[in-house]
Amino acid sequence: MISLIFFLSVGLLLFSSLFLLARRNTRPEGSSSALVEARQALRTLQAGLLPLELVNRVFAEQDWEYVRSETPRSIHELFLDERKGLALLWLRQVRIQIRSLQRFHRGAARHYARLNPRTEVELALSFAALMGACRALQFLVFVAGPYAAPRMVGVVANAANRACKISEQSLGFLDKARLGALGHASDAAML
Amino acid sequence: MAQAASDLRSRTLADIPRSLDRLIYLASMRDYNTGLYYHDGLASRFTQEVACEALADCHREAFSQLVGCSLRELVSQMEGYIDSTHTSPRDFVAAWKKLEPYRVAVPVETDPLTAQLLFSSFKIALAILEARLPSIPPQPSA
Repeated sequence: MISLIFFLSVGLLLFSSLFLLARRNTRPEGSSSALVEARQALRTLQAGLLPLELVNRVFAEQDWEYVRSETPRSIHELFLDERKGLALLWLRQVRIQIRSLQRFHRGAARHYARLNPRTEVELALSFAALMGACRALQFLVFVAGPYAAPRMVGVVANAANRACKISEQSLGFLDKARLGALGHASDAAML
Repeated sequence: MAQAASDLRSRTLADIPRSLDRLIYLASMRDYNTGLYYHDGLASRFTQEVACEALADCHREAFSQLVGCSLRELVSQMEGYIDSTHTSPRDFVAAWKKLEPYRVAVPVETDPLTAQLLFSSFKIALAILEARLPSIPPQPSA
């Protein structure tokens, strides 16, 4: 009986390992689709999430002043709920896209020996600081509302913009490297 | 296309000063089944494709202007728009709260967060307008 339990446990363990291995993302991190995904994340951040006008609108204190001074109390709660929801959505989106870029760079650093190690270290630190700041701001907004830490919003947006710029430089190099590789491949095919 | 857009701005849109009115007008020029914009006058002066591009460009511009408005400005634009429709404010607010027509007035490929920001602002603006409506006097009991 004991040996039956032992073999069943071993079998279950092996099956779980196989299941986890099969579920793992098999896409190579340095692949073209990963590069396209990283480019997409960068575009979403730069064009969709980080433009100053959008960030200023989401966290506009003048709107809150207007609501507080010129509308009845019943509107105040609705306004704060709506803006809090938007602020959290913005932060969640920024984190998702930054995480996508971070994942790509972690993979790319392993695949491309010619990537500037200093840039990659700088990027890794920026990503880590940014994720921490996003988490802290998310907590503050969740607990104390959308106007809890206006300075921190600016810090997060600026840090994200900086990380995007460094990432863009890296991606520019990777694009060239990939185009070069494609050129060599097509030359070889023609020969 | 730039010439067609400029023509559209100087002729048709010159008579529509508020960006909210422009947004509604330009969204109404779009076929919901195809997503293409139609304007016979513009198409006759240029081509259908160019007219479509010009209308899409002006639609994006109106949307972006409205998103950039403060809440105070949005409420003021909505008051102006209600006046121009000659609808009773009470009916207007009730219909917009129920149907949320602004959701279909967004240009294609708009960033979801930006669209969400405008929808949220409309929701708050409607609540403000509703709160400002004069209360209905109680009906005398028979």
